[in-house]
Amino acid sequence: MVAPGIKRGTAELAVLSVLEDGPLHGYEMARRIEEQTHGSLRFTLASLYPLLYRLEKRGWVRGAWETSGTGRRRRCYRLTAEGKKKLAPIRREWAELFRALRRLTKVSRA
Amino acid sequence: MRDWSALVERRLAGLALEPEERAEVIAEVAAHLEDTWEAMLRQGMTEEEVVRRTLSQAGDWRELQRKILGAKRREQIMEKRIRQLWIPGFLTLILSMLFLTTLYRLGLRARLVWSGPNAILLYTPWLAGLPFFGALGAYISSRAGGSRGTMLFVSVFPAIALTFAFLFMFPFSMTVELIVGRPVDFSRVATVLLKDGIGWLLIPAAALLAGGLLAHVLSGALPSSRHTAIG
Repeated sequence: MVAPGIKRGTAELAVLSVLEDGPLHGYEMARRIEEQTHGSLRFTLASLYPLLYRLEKRGWVRGAWETSGTGRRRRCYRLTAEGKKKLAPIRREWAELFRALRRLTKVSRA
Repeated sequence: MRDWSALVERRLAGLALEPEERAEVIAEVAAHLEDTWEAMLRQGMTEEEVVRRTLSQAGDWRELQRKILGAKRREQIMEKRIRQLWIPGFLTLILSMLFLTTLYRLGLRARLVWSGPNAILLYTPWLAGLPFFGALGAYISSRAGGSRGTMLFVSVFPAIALTFAFLFMFPFSMTVELIVGRPVDFSRVATVLLKDGIGWLLIPAAALLAGGLLAHVLSGALPSSRHTAIG
């Protein structure tokens, strides 16, 4: 598991990335993130929904109630055009950070 | 089947949002817990264990409530401030300035009141119209849910904006005059500042405020008792 302090910064990237593949509701989003990160990133209700509401207010995602085939209503979130635009620079920043950390840890080991 | 909505409703009882928005949050969180519960049941866990694990998803309910409120209301406060304060405030300012320009173009000029060294320049036709603009600004703010304080602040907004312009204009013009080498008579500047301040700021502010108070009285019940006060 990743420590909460580090995880906090990655949450935005994780949610936007998982929504890039298509609309998802909160539970499914959390499940996919956990599955795709092999359990390293786990969302609780307190970390997921406030983040989704903030992203929605910024206009990066859009939530809408949808009824499934079984008649259940779930609020599904979609990545908006603005969200897609924001995802690219966030990804670049994180890639840059990972490269820098890799360089740093190699130097430390030497 | 457990009633997750009722449970979430109880746990998030202090979620101070608009009723519709609150109901949506409760339904969404309840749906998440329901999905978690069902997924765990499919894994063959005991009912007791499933309930315990599902509820652990929420963690500290008070923290969840605080975080949801923080995410939802920060922007709400900004939106309210814009609707209740900035839009009516700037509208009042623009309209009162347009009114002043129109009067000037129609040939109506400011007049000296009193005589001698204590004479003050007053733009009476403009002053006569200002209560209307003060009342209009206060009314728009009230319609947007502005508190009494916000309404009155909006009504005098043109005078506040003019005060800032005056405070900036005098030091600026004095600095320019010093740079170009013209002698500055500070006592004369102070007199002008005081007299113009009375004629162009204090009396207009009183006229605007009179309109704002009138709008407040006519609007009946205090809006601050119905809405969150901002400003």
